[in-house]
Amino acid sequence: MGRILGTRLLRLLATLFAVTFLSFIMTSLLPGDPVNAILGVDAPRDEATVERIREELGLNDPLPVRYVNWLGNAVTGDLGESYINRGQTVWGDTIVQRLPVTAQLAFMAIVIAVILAVPLGIIGAYRQGRWQDQTTSAGVQVALSVPNFITGIFLIWLFAVKLKWLPASNWNRISDKGIFENFKTAILPATALALTQMAIFSRLVRSDMIATLQENFVLSAKAKGLSDRYILFRHALRPSSLSLATIVGINFGALLGGTVVIETLFAIPGLGFRLINAINQRDILVIQGITVFVAVAYVLINTVVDLFYSVLDPRIRKS
Amino acid sequence: MSKQSLTKLLALLFSFAMIAAACGGDSSSDEEGTGDVTETDDGDGDGGDGDGGDDDPDDDVSSGDVADGDVDTVVEETTGERVYGGTIAVGLEAEAVGLRPWEDSCSSPCYNIMLTIYDTMTAQTVDGNYEPFLLESLEANEDFTVYTGVLRSGITFHNGTELTAQTVADMFPIQQAGTASAGRVSASNLAGVEATGDLEVTYTLSQPNSAFPAFLSRLEVGAVFDPALAASDPDGYNENPIGTGPFVFESRDLDNETIVVRNDNYWMSDPDGNQLPFLDEISFRPIPDEGTRLDATLSGTTQVAQTLRQGTIRDARAAKEGGDAIELVEFQGNNVGGGQFNVLVPPYDDVRVRRGLTHMNSQENVIEALGGTGISLPGTQWFSPDSPWYSEKVAEAWPKFDFELGVSTLQEYIDDPERSDGKAAGEPIDVELSCPPDPTLIAAMQVIEQTWTASGLVNVELTNYDQQTHINYALGAENGFVGEHGAHCWRWSDNDDPSVAINPFLAPPTAEIAEAAGIPEVVSPFNFPNWFDPDSFGAAVAATQTDDFDERYALYESIMLKIAEEVPIWYSGHTATALVIDPSIQGLSGWHLPSGTLGNGTPAAIGQWREVWIAG
Repeated sequence: MGRILGTRLLRLLATLFAVTFLSFIMTSLLPGDPVNAILGVDAPRDEATVERIREELGLNDPLPVRYVNWLGNAVTGDLGESYINRGQTVWGDTIVQRLPVTAQLAFMAIVIAVILAVPLGIIGAYRQGRWQDQTTSAGVQVALSVPNFITGIFLIWLFAVKLKWLPASNWNRISDKGIFENFKTAILPATALALTQMAIFSRLVRSDMIATLQENFVLSAKAKGLSDRYILFRHALRPSSLSLATIVGINFGALLGGTVVIETLFAIPGLGFRLINAINQRDILVIQGITVFVAVAYVLINTVVDLFYSVLDPRIRKS
Repeated sequence: MSKQSLTKLLALLFSFAMIAAACGGDSSSDEEGTGDVTETDDGDGDGGDGDGGDDDPDDDVSSGDVADGDVDTVVEETTGERVYGGTIAVGLEAEAVGLRPWEDSCSSPCYNIMLTIYDTMTAQTVDGNYEPFLLESLEANEDFTVYTGVLRSGITFHNGTELTAQTVADMFPIQQAGTASAGRVSASNLAGVEATGDLEVTYTLSQPNSAFPAFLSRLEVGAVFDPALAASDPDGYNENPIGTGPFVFESRDLDNETIVVRNDNYWMSDPDGNQLPFLDEISFRPIPDEGTRLDATLSGTTQVAQTLRQGTIRDARAAKEGGDAIELVEFQGNNVGGGQFNVLVPPYDDVRVRRGLTHMNSQENVIEALGGTGISLPGTQWFSPDSPWYSEKVAEAWPKFDFELGVSTLQEYIDDPERSDGKAAGEPIDVELSCPPDPTLIAAMQVIEQTWTASGLVNVELTNYDQQTHINYALGAENGFVGEHGAHCWRWSDNDDPSVAINPFLAPPTAEIAEAAGIPEVVSPFNFPNWFDPDSFGAAVAATQTDDFDERYALYESIMLKIAEEVPIWYSGHTATALVIDPSIQGLSGWHLPSGTLGNGTPAAIGQWREVWIAG
């Protein structure tokens, strides 16, 4: 276990270095100037002010110096301040403020996806090749094929504009408006994110379940006269869920950085919405901070999932 | 048909139905950025200004008529019994980066918020003139270098501090150094502010500027804030902005919601004597996606949706015609989309090329590609037909779509053995046409590309860079402000006084050109096409030295005529804007100045919320 952790840690450090270095280089080399965004392009340009801002932000320093300065601060936990929203720290005012929103969305999306995917996967496996399997496979294919923003637009149109059941946009924080109001703003974007996940999960459950149902212990259970439902849920589901557990963890990590489009569509103040604004405004330190955070979270979640997986399945631990 | 095939067919049909429903329900959402061209999101605030004088432009100048079906600018008195109370939510196209007028650059969405918290010294009337707002009076000396203003008495900030002339004087050093205001202070020629009485403020300018009252209507120079608090804790001011405006800042959840609540001690009443404001609370919500913002109002999530996109206006009109309970407060602004030629770079340095390409540019087709047919008017100048500055003479002079004439004009250049691009006579010219990567802009670019390419005289390369890169290429800070652009999408003009937008555009673009013109101290990085015409620049300067509308009108008309002749820029359509509202929202367009004069309505989709009420 110690060796696994050590390897993981080294891999994490290497990944972080690559992510921070590449994102810093790429964003810094783009021709757009954050000063334009700070001043507003049509505002009269006072060169003394421009120079003062560049100096304050360290934009006149050579690129390697800026990167090393940033890295030096980052390892002490100081990810800097936003260039655009002055006074807003990248860690406290951006990541800490917005992570709960994105994490909640990602969590709800995963939960919805699993709730839908498991029964669909089981049905597909149990009725393999029959019309039930064909129908669920076709539905899953549709869910995979339709981009989540199209699903989001459809959900807004149906549940907000036509039925007027749910709000079309923005976010009610639990701390301000309670859990019910929060749920009303979260359910549509979470569902939009969930459908693609559901499709992936149900395919996985189906294929694993098909394999499990051919195992000897299932055949013996059948020979004992146990009901199909009992066999499916008590004997076959657990061994068929190992891959699902892995992919759920990995996809949760991926969703932390993958909600950009849905957060922008629904105007949800999460990490993704902030990241896209930061990219448009060349708010380099915010881009850096969020990128690094997502990379760390992703690698950590993967590590935890791997460890958890090996705990669940002794064969992996031995290998 | 087998069961398996039937299942697949049903699944396919479901898929199509889902996509079709999504697209049908929200056709605008795939075209954010429908607006013609997107460069200088001017958000110029409350827009325009008049000349600072007393003339009524409409008495002297016949404004152009509005074509059937396009966005018309209607500013009129609102009738009905005023009702106090209620909360509304306003969907804005973007978040305000900050709430300090001297520090945070502010465009149209931000102005909607800021004008609830802060009052400005002057404001624009429906006729395009400027009248005092927080000031009770404002007088200029003979050569427009000194302005004396008297503040209204009894005005207090939200924290109870009294507004005095000394407050305004103390604001000035902060404005001089402010990130957002320093450039604007410099452009206004403002050199000093002095308290010459308890309520009397004297503004001293370094050079004449008859358009100075226009600057006092803008947040950067004209908004009043508490200088003592601003100096002691600038970051804290952003967390808790203090103004004298009709609403008091309540809370801010960045990128989600900014809430302001009624200022019970507001100093202003409406012309009928009703204490303002009427509403209890406003929640401003940034919703960047055009389709979602409109849907939010259609669904009742918000009561107002702001848009500067003609595609959204089209969708809102369609929704209204389809029975949705909404109203549109529309405004045909001066802001006009189009582009610019970099006249310091061959082949755009030759007027035959610029005229030829412009003649080969069908504005109607471009506007159609942008989704603006029946909404945006084709541009011929920096002023829309609704503006008092609009000139029929210029509209006539503008090189309109005439493909054959364009070909023959360009052919002259191509056959010229001395042509500036160094190619052999007879070879096609190379043109880089660049716009930000917005779907409708790309569609419009393709329309232009097809027409230019069809002439057989132009090799067009289409490029798309994100907004910041696009701006940077035109600014060209790295190469002495020459820029790295060729034919470059851009936006022109706003509803401000012409001097505010036009003068920087006409000043020498580089140090070398300024030196050659004998005015080495005057260089403007905002002359993006790098076109310098001494006569036009002289006219622009002359326009700041008089407040006579007729005289100024003639000067700006001469400038527009010169642009029509030299064509350093081209136009597509004027930028129509709208506030899509729940029908219960009243009083948005017909707001007043303290004198009782009607204000300028909602230019750039900026609402003045103090007179808005919710009908029962």
